[in-house]
Amino acid sequence: MESPGHQYAAGVIEARLGRGAQDVLEAAVVLEAWGGVRAGRALSLGSRVVPPKPPRWTPGRLTTEEPGRRDGILSEAVALIMAILAVASWAGPLSRQVGTSSLQQAIVIALPLTLALQWAIRSRYLSRRSGLACLAHDRLALCALGLLAIEVPLMLLRPYGPLAGMFVAIWVGGTVLARRGWALPYGLLLVGAVIGLEAELPAYPLLEVLTATVLIGSVTAIRTGEEHSNEPAGRVGRALWAGAIGAALGGLLVGDPSLGWGVHGAFPALALLPSVLGSFWGGYHLWKFYDAVPRGLQGTSLTQANQRNHRGAAMGIFLGAILRLVGVTVVLSGAVLLIAEWTSGTNRLSLFVGFGCVALVTMIVNVLESLAYARWALFAAGASVATELTVSNVVLVHAPVPGAALIAGTLVGILVALPPLLMLLMRPGRVLATSLWIQ
Amino acid sequence: MTTEGTYPHAMGGVSSWCDLLIGGLPEFDWQILPIRAGDRSHSAIFELPPHAAVVGQIELWSEQLPRRRWMVRADHRARESLPANLVRSLMGWEGSYDGLLDALVWCRMRPHAVRRAFRGAGAWEAFLGALEEVLGESHPDAGPPPQLDAVEAARLYQTIYWIARAAAVPTPQTDLLHVTAAGWAAIPALVHKQLHGTDMLLTEHGVYVREAYLAAARSPSSQGERFLSSRLARGLSRAAYAAADSVAPVTEANAAWERGLGVDPQKIRVIQNGIDAPPSYTDPPGNLKVVSVGRIDPLKDVQTMLRVAVEVSRRVPGVRFEYWGPPTKGQEAYARACEELARRLGAEECFQFMGSTRDPHGVVRDADVVLMTSISEGLPMSILEAMAQARPVVATAVGGVPEVLRGCGIVPPPGDVHAIATGVATLLSNPELAAHLGRRGFARVHRIYTQKACLAGYRDLLGELAGVEMAA
Repeated sequence: MESPGHQYAAGVIEARLGRGAQDVLEAAVVLEAWGGVRAGRALSLGSRVVPPKPPRWTPGRLTTEEPGRRDGILSEAVALIMAILAVASWAGPLSRQVGTSSLQQAIVIALPLTLALQWAIRSRYLSRRSGLACLAHDRLALCALGLLAIEVPLMLLRPYGPLAGMFVAIWVGGTVLARRGWALPYGLLLVGAVIGLEAELPAYPLLEVLTATVLIGSVTAIRTGEEHSNEPAGRVGRALWAGAIGAALGGLLVGDPSLGWGVHGAFPALALLPSVLGSFWGGYHLWKFYDAVPRGLQGTSLTQANQRNHRGAAMGIFLGAILRLVGVTVVLSGAVLLIAEWTSGTNRLSLFVGFGCVALVTMIVNVLESLAYARWALFAAGASVATELTVSNVVLVHAPVPGAALIAGTLVGILVALPPLLMLLMRPGRVLATSLWIQ
Repeated sequence: MTTEGTYPHAMGGVSSWCDLLIGGLPEFDWQILPIRAGDRSHSAIFELPPHAAVVGQIELWSEQLPRRRWMVRADHRARESLPANLVRSLMGWEGSYDGLLDALVWCRMRPHAVRRAFRGAGAWEAFLGALEEVLGESHPDAGPPPQLDAVEAARLYQTIYWIARAAAVPTPQTDLLHVTAAGWAAIPALVHKQLHGTDMLLTEHGVYVREAYLAAARSPSSQGERFLSSRLARGLSRAAYAAADSVAPVTEANAAWERGLGVDPQKIRVIQNGIDAPPSYTDPPGNLKVVSVGRIDPLKDVQTMLRVAVEVSRRVPGVRFEYWGPPTKGQEAYARACEELARRLGAEECFQFMGSTRDPHGVVRDADVVLMTSISEGLPMSILEAMAQARPVVATAVGGVPEVLRGCGIVPPPGDVHAIATGVATLLSNPELAAHLGRRGFARVHRIYTQKACLAGYRDLLGELAGVEMAA
């Protein structure tokens, strides 16, 4: 082939790329691949056809993938409501059958354990796009062994241990079922158990059947869930940190004896409902984080990439989530208070405030953990529990209002966790580069 | 031997070459260190011979952290200038090789501090400053840089983090480093050489930087993304060339690129690929079948092949084109675009995507013509296989193709649908010419491109670099 001249070379590049070459190498590569020019000649021609002006700016294409799934959100919400109402309805008949003290101790053990397992499983598996496939890949038997390792010691703690063990299995299994999209059948199972308990069926056999059904359902959910995926599971170390945070938050829920889990019938569980639904909606809003932060930064120049931006996408989504949480909690708490006379006296405002604060600290800690600041998140959750225990056992042995220690603990947690999080979120560029994309 | 997304986990030309080399040189103990995306598909496709072992794995883009040795006191102090140093040395047009080595060695010495260094606020600020410096550089060959936005900068920051993580992975004690691509695969070897002074051999099948530029040029990405990906490939290649004691391209065409990219000609020794060809041949069966074997990848320019198929089917009724091979991992969208184009062109009657084959020799033997429309190649094994089966080849004039097919095939320019179609139609309508070219190819493979010659070339070179005299 004849050696093309400078103009021919520029023409080939323009025709092939629809623009000038980026640099000498791109020019040479195009000339060789599509112009039939030999490498040495292409390299020497390339340096003569590099355009002097920068290309017209076009924004980068963004392809982000949100982790996990968002479909079936309504059925999950309905199931959550059913689950809380069902568990609240268990309290009366269960305490009559197994004794108030046993029920209280079972809940005090089961709640932190459940939250620990839920946070750990979510961190390693369920927060991923193909979470169930990850779980299935990690050998179901291994997971079952892990669960057994928790359940067997509980079974030995008589009389409340077996009950706690069944609670843990039922609640953790529910997380897996919800992830599979089987939240409604799960909720119906719990309602079925309420009907059974109200009909004075023996509590232990009934809960054993329920536990077995939920566990079999969970195994089926995992086995029939997503198709094989190459997506890896999360770090074991990170899941352990998450589990510790979950345990601390569970400890926060049961660390204040004035709440009266198992003592005051359905009340504490009912009071929990508004804040749980608030967190659910707020958490749903936070899903946008992974997508909206980079999208909000598109077109931002390098000089602005590290500047503070109080109205940036990261801050906007976080505040939006908080607003949803607080709004739903306040409105639903008002509604529950209004119907207090029909719900055996669920009229203690301080409890609603306490649970609202728990939801708030959980969300803040959750955001910190998801940005891989697990140590700080655990520190905040730990500080909450420590404060709560100190207040309830040392400072206010006789609490002026129920949940006073819980409120004190959660406020400390919020004060510890919120400032560093806000400082971080104020710089969306930094959050994206150093936290979201480097975990 | 360090590999990048190939041996022993993926099929392809480079993997086949690694398998041939390792299996054919049992006098060496081979330690394989593959670099791959961090997913779950860890199983090796190739069975390693007893004198070879996988000695670790570098997983990129995974959540895993370096394994902690609890008994060893680790230095966790972060170095906030690390990302800035890496971006200056890798992305700058005249980036500093010594600066790069200093940063990479720091990562190897403190694997647990790398993540901390990148997550610091100061590191991101310093990185942005360094990136602005790079963009502000003025060099006549570099051209004017595009504007970048914060997302592109963050993406680069993440990529550079993974370069640091790849450098942090320990490498085993070895007498010689054999790097199979002048990109990511070179990173662990660069550090090892700097720490232990071990000699390094670099084999390039395609020219890494050339293929990266081609991929960027054809991608629908923004200017910023194109700039960053191609500059990064250039930075890695420059470092690999600087560190290599010997560079062994598979064809003279690649050697020309390497000289043009500044490799000392004294370091370059071309070792052509070879094949274990059968002792006898059969003539083409005369079934009007045109076969192509390779991955579905933009570098193979399958879309041009589809247009060629349509044009040939107009001239030679009854012709059938078969494309054997899976899409390259990550190029599934390109494969779908090719299928869509086949539908739009009405090529479904004459063109079929056949998927993977376990019998590439049989597939080629069953063809009248073997076709390749690539825009970038080194010395393609698929052409050698066609020649070994005495099949005539029409292949675009890229890389080492004209050199291999001298006198035994038709070599049209890349992307020239009319010229390629004319070559294919000529061979289909002239079986005598096709059989003649096939026989010439068969003889040429037996004369020049033998497995024995290829292995002998590497045996000598590896022996020289390792300082031992090898028996023939």
